[in-house]
Amino acid sequence: MIADNPWIDATVRTLLVVLLVILVVLILIWLERKVAGRIQMRLGPMVTGPYGIIQSAADAIKLLTKEDLRPATADRWVFELAPFVAFVPSLLALIALPFTAHLFVRNLELGLFYIVAVSGLSTVGLLMAGWGSANKYALLGAVRGAAQLISYEIPLVLAILAVAMVSGSLNLVEIVNEQGRVPYIVWQPLGFAIFIIATLAELRRNPFDIPAAESEIIGGPFIEYSGIRWSMFFFAEYINVFVLSVLGSLVFLGGWNWPLGNEVGWPLQVVLILLKTSAMLLLFMWLRSTLPRLRIDQLMSFCWQVLLPFAFVAIIVNGLVLVYEWPDVVLGLLSGVAALVAGALVYHSSHRTVPSQPWSLVPAKGID
Amino acid sequence: MLGLFKALGTTLSVIVRKPVTLQYPAVHKELPHRTRGFPVLLWNFEVVEPFCTGCRVCARYCPSECISVTMKDNPLYAEGKSKRRKIVDRFYLDYGRCMRCNICVEVCNFDAIVLNNSWSGHEVSRYDRRDLVNDLDDLLAESKGGGLTNPFREPLGMAHSGWSPKPRGEKAEAE
Repeated sequence: MIADNPWIDATVRTLLVVLLVILVVLILIWLERKVAGRIQMRLGPMVTGPYGIIQSAADAIKLLTKEDLRPATADRWVFELAPFVAFVPSLLALIALPFTAHLFVRNLELGLFYIVAVSGLSTVGLLMAGWGSANKYALLGAVRGAAQLISYEIPLVLAILAVAMVSGSLNLVEIVNEQGRVPYIVWQPLGFAIFIIATLAELRRNPFDIPAAESEIIGGPFIEYSGIRWSMFFFAEYINVFVLSVLGSLVFLGGWNWPLGNEVGWPLQVVLILLKTSAMLLLFMWLRSTLPRLRIDQLMSFCWQVLLPFAFVAIIVNGLVLVYEWPDVVLGLLSGVAALVAGALVYHSSHRTVPSQPWSLVPAKGID
Repeated sequence: MLGLFKALGTTLSVIVRKPVTLQYPAVHKELPHRTRGFPVLLWNFEVVEPFCTGCRVCARYCPSECISVTMKDNPLYAEGKSKRRKIVDRFYLDYGRCMRCNICVEVCNFDAIVLNNSWSGHEVSRYDRRDLVNDLDDLLAESKGGGLTNPFREPLGMAHSGWSPKPRGEKAEAE
């Protein structure tokens, strides 16, 4: 408790978290450009400040002072409200996100469920943006986005559910406290793999940036937006990246608990969880600048034919281990084997060659 | 699937490599010796006069007609200091029209004009296009300052990339 009055307490905590997140987003955008630059043997931003560190602040000022344009044919209220509908849910998720055992806004009993539910809401903002823009590219992007986000929500939830089964709780603090000895990534490698892939799709990042594909539909739902509304969409996107990275490090990497334990005090714990979150973020950036974009049919078939069955496998394995009280090692082994099988299946299906049709040269008609 | 991990390995190996970017206005790339910048005139340090006699051959051969030259009697010849009877009086070269084709250098009988192979031969942008017309003093400044050392250095056929023309005999044998 920071203050006795619950309203003041909640306000102070929310303000702290929001300030932290604004700072994190500015750093994230800068870091993303730096990492992508180094991967492409460039330097990234270098001019504004030492190593371009205030580049995102300069970008923010530029975006805020830009003209807020709206197409004449756009549906006015849908178009203007869409950024808020995308922006607010990403902030809502922060309420239930614990950074240490005591540093959170509210410790919800159904925290995990709440975060997943709220982060799914941003689809509505995307659809509103696509519909309200009166632009075919925007509508295409929004429909793609809705299909992708709804599909990948399911393996994401199932992967998290597998963890919740083992920990026996949906409370994030309790899930982290359960991982004092071994983080869940050791016992749930399959769940972790599904979580990473589904998170990438959920965040609409490469290789799953199909809704906003710049080379096909020129930015998708955001095509007609400019200035502050456009920046709100991207703020929301980066907040979501941060939230899901923190969630991943809490649920699979042991949060603030592993390996230092619960008694080292909150400063070290904050450092620890930020390190784990950074590892997740760097993984996302690494994947983003490495992998090419999937086609929409590849994306959907991968979700329904690979991720979803294996998410069920993860849950069934968990159930067997929990019901028959087998040792945890069995769980880790089974899950690891299942992850390898999933990889092998994808490998074989992607390397399957279609037998070519026998062909012969047919002379053109009229030539003897 | 394996290619995916291979790709991840590739990007990971690139990230620890040194970036190829040079921060251009602060850092200048080393230019090859045969770089074609804009043409400048050469200064004869022994006689203390320009090599150019004002014979107008460059102006006549220039495809874009960016050179204008006039000639005068050499005052140093009257004093006996120079062997050259005529010398350049006024020389105007419009960098806005020049296309750096090297023809003026090829036709010059006195090796008096050369394409500036230093960065000052490239960074010539001006706010007013009239400032791109250079007079004799502008054109001689680089050479007088010692910026163009040995501009006709051999081997002339060797480019920076290591490319060199094949000896003529080889081609004849192949045919």
